Amino acid sequence: MAAGVLIGLILAGYSLFTARSASTLIVPAEDVALVNQQPVSRADYLALLQTLYGVDLSHATQEQRHKVLDDMIREELFVQRGKELDVASTDPDVRSALVNAVELEIAENAITSQPSEAALRQFFETHQDRYVSEGVMRVRDLVFPASALGELPHDPAALKRAVDDAPTLAHLNGRDSGKTKGEEFYFAAKIHLGDELFAAARDLGNGEVSRPIQLSDGIHVLDMEQNRHPVPFGFAAARPQVLSDYRNQAVDKLKLSGESFLRKRANVLIADDLR
Amino acid sequence: MRFLVVLIMASLLVAAVFAADSYAARQLLRADPDALPGDAMLLRFAVRRGEPLFEARCAACHGAFGTGDSVNGVPDLTDNDWLYGTGRPAEIEKVIDYGIRSRNPKAWNLAIMPAYARPQPNPGDKNIQPLTPGEIGDVIEFLMRQQGRPADAAAVSRGAALFTGHGGCYDCHSLDAKGDSAIGAPNLSDAITLYGDGSRGALYMSIAYGRQGVCPAWITRASAASIRELALYVYSISHPGTMQNGS
Repeated sequence: MAAGVLIGLILAGYSLFTARSASTLIVPAEDVALVNQQPVSRADYLALLQTLYGVDLSHATQEQRHKVLDDMIREELFVQRGKELDVASTDPDVRSALVNAVELEIAENAITSQPSEAALRQFFETHQDRYVSEGVMRVRDLVFPASALGELPHDPAALKRAVDDAPTLAHLNGRDSGKTKGEEFYFAAKIHLGDELFAAARDLGNGEVSRPIQLSDGIHVLDMEQNRHPVPFGFAAARPQVLSDYRNQAVDKLKLSGESFLRKRANVLIADDLR
Repeated sequence: MRFLVVLIMASLLVAAVFAADSYAARQLLRADPDALPGDAMLLRFAVRRGEPLFEARCAACHGAFGTGDSVNGVPDLTDNDWLYGTGRPAEIEKVIDYGIRSRNPKAWNLAIMPAYARPQPNPGDKNIQPLTPGEIGDVIEFLMRQQGRPADAAAVSRGAALFTGHGGCYDCHSLDAKGDSAIGAPNLSDAITLYGDGSRGALYMSIAYGRQGVCPAWITRASAASIRELALYVYSISHPGTMQNGS
């Protein structure tokens, strides 16, 4: 019986002196120091050694080890003093760092958890319009003087023949505007052609010409050589982006609900004139 | 009386095992992580405890055997080809601690593959301009040649100029396309591909639409001991000889 009591006492004593919250004399193995009971992490210590001197623990000199440890202790002392002085109430950088850190803490669940394939598929199907390739076109933008409007054929096939024939084009004073250069993504063609011409070009098939379009600088005819419309990606091709978007949405949701929780439990008084 | 003796002996045994484990855990944490592969006892201890942690925290993406998933850009952890660092336990541990593009301020987040077929390839860097479809094709031919595969000679020449010029690819992947493991830019001249099967189509998807995989930071979600055990487990599967050598 006495032995049992003795073992119990030993275990209780061991627990008492090694438990985190009660530890006053022993630095936990995962830390390199305790500063007013606040741990200085060994992982951060090793990372700082590597950053400052490019060495790991076993290759660091005694001087380097002491310097890094001393710097970290100094930092911890100043952080603790900063809390005492409540520097967050006045320093915008500290306030901003705190906001970022709390947002990160709120978002961690969403970043570390792996969504199910079913959830990703559902997200993909709900937002399928995001997962499409960029369209590509090769188009000539031909511009004619306003006076040529009456001479341009109305029949699309005849207009196509006219723009393909150099002498006819010359006769009509038509020229390539030079706005587009070879194969372009839709977004680039839109920038180069402008909204109105791009809208007309987008619907043209390969080898088709647009109707004459009158703009301030003359009459434009678009001659589409090749038009590859945006194609929806399959789930497999889109999955990396789907996962990223899913997580971003989950992070945003968590941030909103975190903020809502903080607002609910807070006692916020607003000045009369701003209510 | 006999029951009491058995009970005491069992308690002592449990206490001894607990104390030994606790001692080994402390030794593990206090050791230089890069020196641990040389300590067979501690390495075995860590790997034994790291394996279930890997299954619980990492296998969902990296697979049960750590072989990754090239469809989704999850790196193979068994091939000793390192995207970040050179595979030292301390480097592996840093990735587990802070993650990759995990939003943690200490995460690896310098390298982002821009989406060159989008109006703003990298919203964080306005200097990177989109490429045309033809230019993307030229860069692909250049990469094919770098990997020793057949490629269109004229396009290779144009692609090389883009790679080392206004495409800005060299900035991360280096002039010879061998990558830079200091920032996590993959080597594009070898046969190991992070995304896809290395075909022209897969390369087009990466260049046109960008890549930015994420590995979460575990530093606030797992104990320092768990992270070290995980790091050594990953080290052991990427260096299969380590455990047998017991070196």
